[in-house]
Formats: sequence, structure tokens, C-alpha cells
Amino acid sequence: MSEPRAESPVTIDVSRLPATVFGRWDLGWWGTMGFVVIEGVTLFICLVPYLYLRRNFDQWPPPGTPRPDSAPFAAQVGLMLLSWVPARCLDRAARRFDGPTVRRWLVVLAVFVIAFAVLRAFELQALHTRWNADAYGTTTWIILLMHASLIVVEVGEVLTMVAIFYGHRVTERHCSDASDVAAYWYFLTGSWIVLAAILVLWPRL
Amino acid sequence: MTDTVATPIEPPARVPTDAELRELERTWGDRPGLRGWLATTDHKRVAARYLVTAFVFFLLAGFASVLMRLQLARPEQTFVGPDLYNQLFTVHGTAMLFLFAAPVMFAMGTYLVPLMIGARCVAYPRLNAYGYYVYLLGGVVLWGALLANTGPDVGWTAYVPLAGPDYSPGHRADVWQVVVTYTEVASLAGAVVLIATIFKLRAPGMTLNRMPLFVWTMLVMAFIVIFAMPWVATGSTIFLGMDRLVATQYFNPAEGGDVLLWQHVFWFFGHPEVYLILLPALGMVSSIVTTFTRRPVFGYPAMVLAAVATGILSFGLWVHHMFAVGLPQLAASFFTAASTMIAVPTGIQIFCWIATIASGRPRLRVPLGFVLGFVFIFVLGGLTGVMVASVPFDLQAHDTYFVVAHFHYTILGGVAFPVFAALHYWFPKLTGRMPNERLGWWTFWLLFIGVNAAFFPMHFLGLEGMPRRVYTYLAATGWGDLNLLATVGAFVMTAGVLVFLVNVAWSLRAGAPAGENPWDADTLEWSTSSPPPPYNFAVLPVVEGRSALWDRSGRAPIVTGLRSDMREQLVTTALDARPSYRHLMPNPSLWPLAAAAGTGLLLFLLIFTPWGIVIGGIATGLAILGWAWPTRRHEAEELRREREAA
Repeated sequence: MSEPRAESPVTIDVSRLPATVFGRWDLGWWGTMGFVVIEGVTLFICLVPYLYLRRNFDQWPPPGTPRPDSAPFAAQVGLMLLSWVPARCLDRAARRFDGPTVRRWLVVLAVFVIAFAVLRAFELQALHTRWNADAYGTTTWIILLMHASLIVVEVGEVLTMVAIFYGHRVTERHCSDASDVAAYWYFLTGSWIVLAAILVLWPRL
Repeated sequence: MTDTVATPIEPPARVPTDAELRELERTWGDRPGLRGWLATTDHKRVAARYLVTAFVFFLLAGFASVLMRLQLARPEQTFVGPDLYNQLFTVHGTAMLFLFAAPVMFAMGTYLVPLMIGARCVAYPRLNAYGYYVYLLGGVVLWGALLANTGPDVGWTAYVPLAGPDYSPGHRADVWQVVVTYTEVASLAGAVVLIATIFKLRAPGMTLNRMPLFVWTMLVMAFIVIFAMPWVATGSTIFLGMDRLVATQYFNPAEGGDVLLWQHVFWFFGHPEVYLILLPALGMVSSIVTTFTRRPVFGYPAMVLAAVATGILSFGLWVHHMFAVGLPQLAASFFTAASTMIAVPTGIQIFCWIATIASGRPRLRVPLGFVLGFVFIFVLGGLTGVMVASVPFDLQAHDTYFVVAHFHYTILGGVAFPVFAALHYWFPKLTGRMPNERLGWWTFWLLFIGVNAAFFPMHFLGLEGMPRRVYTYLAATGWGDLNLLATVGAFVMTAGVLVFLVNVAWSLRAGAPAGENPWDADTLEWSTSSPPPPYNFAVLPVVEGRSALWDRSGRAPIVTGLRSDMREQLVTTALDARPSYRHLMPNPSLWPLAAAAGTGLLLFLLIFTPWGIVIGGIATGLAILGWAWPTRRHEAEELRREREAA
């Protein structure tokens, strides 16, 4: 998107400037990115003990604990990758201020994010350990649950957006907010793809 | 290089009418009464509360230290028993670091940054208010717990296994871990607000390389917060808290856990913490030195790069707190080198200030006096820092009073003195009254003498082997006289703080009216009234140079077209501050308070049960729903803007 401007030699008349912009031009986007960084750092911190405490064990997972089943993780990753399509469509519709289309894609994303939450329960089962069993169980459970907390928040956010888009007159500002939902979506799903790869592949190395 | 550049301040290019001013007042002002007071999102009112709250916590933490000094004044006293002593030193350290040092910087930043960059508000006013309320609740929980004899007693570092479930039954350690998280949530919210404010709300013309140094240091501080504070929040509430609440095994060696993991996680936050409270203080010093030498600070690019370098390097030193745990020699050498290296950017800044003072026309007023005191005390703290960065020395001095002396010199010199300098310097802007100069000098000398009397003897006590965190010692150790001197010093410091409070009370009533710019300073906050109106600037400023007021030519273009009947804020581009779009800011709301109450409930319940996450999470979620739900007024304003733009 080209940068909006309004300048003249004597006055800077800002009344002609746009009232709504998208992406990094938008103030709201900076807040979203701030929380993306904080949450990304937090997920990384949860991963650190998983890597650090590994050296206390000869085997990983420890003897008696099977390796995590890969099927639920693969299904989750596949679903998340697939969800990038509606996320992208949502973003494009929002940037066109196409309220009805945004509304529809928000419903699709709501279905996806609820599916993520359901699949998370299967992923927890697939670990074959408990949070209090040993350091392996602790670190894997906490990684899954911390990311699950982001999914829960996203369920709330997307459902709220759906309610706003169906219950109110859609403003340009709402469209910009919907575009930020898409930006956050890539973080929510992308971060899990990395974490799932570590949790599933490392025990198999 | 130019010498002194102070020039008379030009009057605003366009004088707004009374009707416009009244409309701006109506638009940006708060509703009267308690509801308006609680719902305010005015960054100045929120910051003033932050400041007062942080200062109250400072006084309480100082009182705890006076009690400890009374106990240690003579050997084998029984004034304070070991159990209460453990709580006092833990609460003192926790409050000073988490409830005073970082929050007071946020308070100053939240108040000053929008004014310094020519904005009408912060980027996310509601998030800002939310952060304050969460912080306040954290402080109430800590001091309430101490009053209930449940104050944390595991040291401000809460090392495991001492703080773990086996050695700290009961809820004292739980109080520590949630209080830390209260303050970190507040700080993280504040950091996001500051970063977006600084990058996106600068007045036209204020390119990054024209930003005041204080704003630069707040920006670096906010980035440090974002990368450092999640470590202690996650480490305390998730790792330590869950080990205590639901028997996770992070720190249990029997199940593959590791107690050293805590030290790594804690200090990966803890060392940057020192710099995140120090950097804004250095920014304050730069503002004061500029004003009282009447010339721009020497070496602006070097100062900016030094601040950024300090922020980056601060993440590479954490292991120097762990030299005594037994490290591979290569790691110890690396962290010794890194610890020594961070003295370089700090040294650059100190040399730049000295050059500024030497080449300017210094006016020795109270704020500059505190700055000179800061240089003296902080340099001493820095030098002992270089000493303890050396592994052989550190192994001898570790956990002795030498370290207590070192970090008090660093933090009192590097934070408290600049903060007192700043409070005297910006007092006229905050209150509209000049502080009393004579009382200011009394405060300075009492604090300067008190700090040195209290903490210099501790170097010798440490070298003689007195361990920290002991509630008493035997007479035969011969430590009595130096401890008595330290206690006398603590009382002298207390007297200094009391004189400061008298000064505040007196100046609020009888101080001379300050006017817009009593110090003839160069930054934008001094171009609006004292105290500033709710909308900060009637006419948005345009910046022509690094010293926004001194560099005014009177020929700068003026900003027109921003609505005064709605909370419109001009948003500019991140690097060059070119006008980008008009953002409609949210109106005041009680929802941030409700969301903070939900978060407070979550963390409070986590002291006792993991279900706090569910109960508090639902409460917070509902409040955030109310927060985000579009109000009729806001929606109508948005639609009106859209219609008119079309």
C-alpha cells in the first residue's frame, strides 16, 4: 500500500488524510505486533526448559514414556496451514472494505479456531504423559497449554468480531481490526507449526 | 559544532479561538465525579497516579529498610526477629525493584513522552489505564500480605529450592510469584503503549534523529521490557507457581528438573532489569544537562547508539550473577568480558555529559546538583561492578555486603538520584508551581551524605566477610561500628526524603507560579501550559530541529484540519514522522478497571488454586469483551468521519 500524505508549503492540512489505514500504517497493527512479540517470547521461554532439561535424561522421552503420536499433531498442523487461505481472503476483503465478505470469512475462521481447540485435547492425549510425571511431561504439557491459551483467546476474539460484524453497522475501522485478526492468525498458527515440529520430531531423532 | 543555541521561544504560529479551546476541553476532558476519575484515560492523570503510587511504595519499602537497619545497628539485637527480617528484606527488594524503580520510569515516560513528541495522548489510552490498575493491585497484594504475616520471605530473587514447595510451605512464596506477575503484566502493557506512541504519534518533523534523548531511552527501555520481562513472569507464575500448585517438575532434580534453570530464567530477566530502570534515568539526566548548560547535549548520535548498545548488551550478561554456581571456565571468561564491555557505552554517555557541561554555561540549580551527585555515586557503583565482573573477586565477594553496597550504589546513584533530579526539574510542568530551591538543596545534601554513609561502609563489611540477608551478627566479629554508621546513614537519607515531602507540600501551596517554560528548556513539553490541558497542545507543533523549542524559526508550517469535536490524533510515519492518517482515539471507560480487576482476581486466586486461571480468565475475558464492544457514541463518530471523508 502506498503511503498516504498531505503536505503543503505553508500549512499541513490533515483533514484530507484518510481516517482508516491498514497494516503497519495503522496504529492498531503496532499493538497487535507488540503482543505477538510478547507472546512469541513467552512461547520460546516455555520451550527453553524442554531443551535445557533434556540433558538430564539419557533418553527423550524418558524410559517408560512412549514417543508422542504424530497423527493429531500432523492433523493440527495441516488444518492450520489450510486456515491460511481464509485468513488471507479475510485480509483482502477487509482491505476492500467489503463488510459482507469479511463477515463470512470471520465465520469460517471461527470454525477453524474452534477446531484447533478440539484438536488440542487430542494432542495432549497423544503425549502419553502427564504434567507431573517428570520434567519431560511438565515441559511438553506446559508448551501445549500455553499455546492453547492463545487459541482460547483467539476463539474469544474471532467470535466477538463475528458478533460485531453481524450486530452492528460495519465501519472502516472494523475492517482494519479484521485485517489485524488475520495478521495475528499467521502468528498463532505459525508458532504452533514450529513447536509441533520440535515436540514430534526431536524424540524421533 | 555550535555552542550555546538557546533562542527566545516563538509564539505559536496560530492562536486558537476561545470556542475551539472550550471544544477541545470538552472533547478531551474527563467527566466530573468519581466515575470520571476512575474511567480516565488521560495519560497525564494516569501517570500522576503511577507516580504517587510508586512513591508511596518507595516510602513503605524505605520504612522496611529502616527497620532492618535498626535491627543491625548493634550486634545480637532482638528488635526484629529472623522470620520478620526475612520478610522485610524480601519485600524491600521486591517493592523497590518491581513496585518503584520500573514503575516510576513508566510514570515519567507515560507523562512526558506524549508531551515531548507533540502528541495529544498515548497510542492506547485504555491499555495504559489497565496497566496502572493491575500494578496498583499487585502492590496492594504485596503490602497486604506483609501486614497479614504472609509476606514473601525467600529473597527478591526467590531462588529454588528454597522457594519451591519442599522448603517454603504456606503461601509466602506464592505471594511473591504473583506480585511479580502483576507488575510484569503492567510493565508489558506500558511497553507496548510506549513503543507505538513513540513510533507513530510524533509531531510532523520529529524524525527519529530529532527525538529527545529521554524519548530514545524510553524506547530502548520499552524494548528491553518486551524481551526481558516475559522471562520472570513466565518463570515465576508458570514454572515456580505450577511446581508449587500442581506439582510440575521444573525444579525437582528427582524427576529430571534442575534448580539452576531458575537462576538462568530469573537473571535473563534480572540483569536487563537493571538497565531498563537505568536507561530512562540516563535520558532524564540528558534533558537536565541540556537545559542547565543551555546547549544541546554533546555527541547526540553517540548517546543514542550508546543507549541502544546498552540495551542489546544487557541481554548478554546474566550469567555473571551465577559465577558462584560452578561454570565452565570458557563461559565464565565470556561473561566477564561481556560484563566489562557494557561499561563502555555507559562511559561514553558520562563523557558526553561531562563534555556538555564543560562546553556549556552551567547553571547550578537543584536538578543539576542531583545529576552531579548521580555521576559521583553511579561511577562508584560502576567501578565495583567491574570488580565483581571478575570471577576470582566475585567468588570472594559473592553474597556478602560488598554486593549489597555495589548494587545500592548502582541503583540509588543510577535511578534514585536521577529520579529526584527529574522530580525537581519537571515539578513545575506537573503542578504549575516552582519547587523550593533551598529545601531542594537540603534534600540533595541529606541524600548524598546519607547514601554514602549508609552504603560505603558496607564495602568494608563485605570484604570482612559479613554475609547479606543475616538478621544479626556476633559482637566478636567487630562489625558493630560500621553497621552503626550505616544505620546513621539510613536515617540521614530518611531525613532527606522527608524534606522532599515537605518541599512538595509547601511548593504545591506557596510555590511561585511556573509559567510554560521556567527553565528555558528545549523540549516540546515546555511549550504548553503548566500543568498541560487535557488535550496537551491547542495547535499541534511542527518540529524543525533536535532542540524543538530552541530551533524554532517561526517559519514552520502549521498543522490544520484535525477535529476538535472528537478525539482525533494525527498519526505519522515511523521513521520520518510524515503525516499519515487521522486516528480516532477511544473515549474514557470503566472497562480497563474491570479488566484489571479480573486480572487481579486471576493472579490473587493463583496464590491458592490453579482454578484461578479459569475464574479470573473468564472475568478478564468478559471485561475485555465490554472494552472492545463498540459504543454507540464511538460508532457514530466513526460513521460521521467516514461520511464526511466520502
